[in-house]
Amino acid sequence: MSLPVAPSDWQRLDPRMLLVHPVRELVRFLPALLVLTVAGSASSGPPWELLGVVAAVAVGILRYLTTRYRVAAGRIELKRGLLSRRITSAPLDRVRTVDLTSSVIQRVLGLTTLRIGTGLAAADDSDALDLDGLPVDRARALRADLLHTATVGVLDRAGTPPDDGRTLVAFDPRWLRFAPFTGTGLVVVAATIGGATQLLDSLGVWRDLRSDDLPVTSVVGVCVAAAAGLLVLLTLSVLGYLVTNGGFRLTQQGGAWHVRRGLLTTRETSIDEERLAGVSLGEPLALRLTGGRHLQAIVTGVDRSETGSSTLVPPSDADVAPRAAGLLLGHDAPVAVALTPHGPAAARRRWTRALVPVVPVVAAAVVVGVREGSWWLLVPAGLLVLGAAALAADRVAGLGHALSHGHVVARSGSLARRREILGVDHVIGWNLRATWFQRRAGLTELAATTAGGGGSVRLLDVPEADAVRLADQALPGLVEQFFRA
Amino acid sequence: MSESGTSLRDPAHRVSPRARVMWTVTAATEGAVAVAVLLVAVLAWEVPWWTLAALVVVVVGWVAVVPRWRYLVHRWETTETAVYTQTGWWARERRIAPMSRIQTVDYAESPVARLFGLASVTVTTASAAGALSIDGLDRDVARRLVDDLTRQADAVEGDAT
Repeated sequence: MSLPVAPSDWQRLDPRMLLVHPVRELVRFLPALLVLTVAGSASSGPPWELLGVVAAVAVGILRYLTTRYRVAAGRIELKRGLLSRRITSAPLDRVRTVDLTSSVIQRVLGLTTLRIGTGLAAADDSDALDLDGLPVDRARALRADLLHTATVGVLDRAGTPPDDGRTLVAFDPRWLRFAPFTGTGLVVVAATIGGATQLLDSLGVWRDLRSDDLPVTSVVGVCVAAAAGLLVLLTLSVLGYLVTNGGFRLTQQGGAWHVRRGLLTTRETSIDEERLAGVSLGEPLALRLTGGRHLQAIVTGVDRSETGSSTLVPPSDADVAPRAAGLLLGHDAPVAVALTPHGPAAARRRWTRALVPVVPVVAAAVVVGVREGSWWLLVPAGLLVLGAAALAADRVAGLGHALSHGHVVARSGSLARRREILGVDHVIGWNLRATWFQRRAGLTELAATTAGGGGSVRLLDVPEADAVRLADQALPGLVEQFFRA
Repeated sequence: MSESGTSLRDPAHRVSPRARVMWTVTAATEGAVAVAVLLVAVLAWEVPWWTLAALVVVVVGWVAVVPRWRYLVHRWETTETAVYTQTGWWARERRIAPMSRIQTVDYAESPVARLFGLASVTVTTASAAGALSIDGLDRDVARRLVDDLTRQADAVEGDAT
């Protein structure tokens, strides 16, 4: 097997990085430089701030001069550092994903950072295999070769001619309406509202509001301010969505899936087809109510914490993500198939788990309400019960599993509901966990373990017989030997 | 739940009976430390005496029940094609891993386990959620198990993902 990947001697990254590194170092040194400038202006002496700038630029240049990489003997190696040398290397056939990230400066210069995901040493950032600064076309060629080599090890694809790439999904500006309902959007909104409330509280605004002689003008003012604040938040979440996902495109080329997104900093993730263990179709409550879905990949060797690498389709119209999932899996059935519900015992557990925690709160509200005569307390208590009931009902409705066209399918949750679909070839074990309560109800939690994503796909509270049958049918011959006679 | 083919039996082997002693000693030591800490708090900061009584009741119950329960649950089995373990007490966890997916086999003797001539064997797969751990094995049994597993896992090709 010849490796036309790159010359096999050590070589430097693109010289244009000489422009990027010093700027980056300057930004990193900025706080120190500010201190130096302030201190320098107060006392006479050597121009410390100037020396600081020179030092930052020198560090940047040294970083370029001391970094080299090579592809040799089936490994990709990266050598860094002046005083303490560090060589990071990875076997080519363990490359799972390749990421191309271009910051704004790099885009202007036509450069990109190539990050190689092997799933081996993701914990420590300094161990990451980043080729920081390659010309875009060279990076793309290297990526194609890396993924090709990785695939050849599993399947002989040498004879397959490379196609131009097939676009599966492309960005649609109408998706921006989902921005406020995504996880990050909701967090931003909630955090800002919480912060603003506390600020107003500490300023004593609420106390003033409650006084009877409140002038009409100030009520109007508060309403206008609230509306304006909400508008700002919406704009922020939409901008955030646009910056992260603008220009999104999911394509298939040369035995890999490519996800390209980002308005300013562009990011291209490539996932080897053989490493795509499954997908996770996100249907959180906020998105479901507004008719949206999103899709993530479960990639062998890529941890769920590396969320940036696993997005396949950002929040988008309800038919987009399932269609993409069908194309990625090669079949629509695992996405569309009706799921087997988990039965009354599982439903009872959802209800108890939602309602039991609110009981003490409601009881306290009733006791205080009756004793103090503050009947209005019963209103929030009632709403709390209604909310918990709605949550339980939705969780019951969401619970389900199936085995369809060689895929284990599991759906659960309400606020963060997801339908996880995992190819049985990628199941590397079964965990069956049951507490005493679950055993009494004849239920168990079945987890299909896998080498990617969150480590497993879980089927919550399945009747034990169903769980065992599913495990047996998914991987015939494994569980059977442990059946009760 | 006794219908054939719809539920799993327990794995074949129990761990060493000395594991029960080890777990009891460990639990008793931890309980004693907790009681001692609370006793100091009672003497120094006027924490009410009944909290100490309550803690002693909990600790005694824990030491009497949990290690025995754990011993009843802990079981393991290996076949030509799979490893099957059962651990826990209140929550029982059964794990099955195909021999072809085993990546590493670890043998460990913690200081406490050495006192009792015990060892633990951990079988890992490529999954973050997939490690199978058997505690409280007799040292010789554990060594033999490690040898067997290593030989069987080596016989399979591929990178086990």
